[in-house]
Amino acid sequence: MSIDEPSLARLMAASQRGDRAAYRALLGDCRAWLTRYFARRSAPHQIDDLVQETLVSLHRKRATWDSGRAFLPWLAAIARYRWIDMLRRQRDEVELGEGDAAVGAEDEAVHARLSLDRLLALLPAGQAQAITLVKIEGASIAEASRISGQSESLVKVNIHRGLRKLAGLVESE
Amino acid sequence: MNDASIDELIDGLAGDLEPVRPRRIARASLWVGAGWLAAAALLLWLFGMRRDMAAMPAMSMLSFWLVAAVAIAAIWSALRMGLPGVGRDHGGWRWAALAALALPLSALFVGLGDGHRAVETARGGTELPCLPMALLAGLGVGGALFAWLRGGAPTSPARAGWVIGIASGASGATIAALHCPVDDIVHIALWHGGAVLLAALAGRLALPPLLRW
Repeated sequence: MSIDEPSLARLMAASQRGDRAAYRALLGDCRAWLTRYFARRSAPHQIDDLVQETLVSLHRKRATWDSGRAFLPWLAAIARYRWIDMLRRQRDEVELGEGDAAVGAEDEAVHARLSLDRLLALLPAGQAQAITLVKIEGASIAEASRISGQSESLVKVNIHRGLRKLAGLVESE
Repeated sequence: MNDASIDELIDGLAGDLEPVRPRRIARASLWVGAGWLAAAALLLWLFGMRRDMAAMPAMSMLSFWLVAAVAIAAIWSALRMGLPGVGRDHGGWRWAALAALALPLSALFVGLGDGHRAVETARGGTELPCLPMALLAGLGVGGALFAWLRGGAPTSPARAGWVIGIASGASGATIAALHCPVDDIVHIALWHGGAVLLAALAGRLALPPLLRW
């Protein structure tokens, strides 16, 4: 494992030249880094999907890394883009009226909450509560409506607006 | 998804690896410059250049360079957007755009001072092809930037759409200014500045879906 900036930059430069062994090592390191990155930002059941999507994006966009610049900010920008994309997809699912899977309260979920809580604190209370209940704790729209005292429509609207605002906040970070 | 599937994915990606030529802003800048020059050459060949370039009034000259600064700042921001990186600032174009607000503000004050003349100038503008010409002339820069960002990795497609639109409109407005014989501030703000605004809106509305990756 060699997750330090100079090693990653060397591996990436070799990968751009077509060195498959270096690329395999790079992807392994990136996988570990991305897993930690998303564990602080997403629900545990989404982490593997986000890691895979980011690795595929890294592969497709590998020509956009400039060897004169640091590697990790480049990787982080791609990871953040994939994360925002996931938030947008969740928002669209809310528009379509689909639910989401429940999330357990393991260690990873707690770490994800630490970062999410900071972002949720920037949202209006109703939006933060709707997102917390449905997207993090796994409640149905009806359950969230009962718990929060918001109508079901309002829960959906608050999730939609909240996720859109979250995506904007992440983008501007 | 699980560890095994990520292992398989890594094997697959490594197996597919081919050498790539890193994308360079310097190379893209040349394409954008070529697009600007080609559009200018074509449009001025078709419509002609104003005859009194050397004697252009200071106000028109200042407007030209203000709009050119907006174009250059927006082009630079758009080029940087193609190569992602957390912490990279792509907002330089905002300051140039803010400075260029001097044009519509000046036009507004002039219009308030002499409303009749301002209305006449605005009407007269419809007879001149400045706005459509600027929009058309901006396609050289807009097309080059779009191609660059489509192959790149813009992490905010909506912002990229705005910036391409502004770069396109502003570069087109500089070309239109080389043709347009009218030196009135109301005309410049309305018909040349309007092209920047329209192109920006068009970029924001049309481009983001095409720039997602």
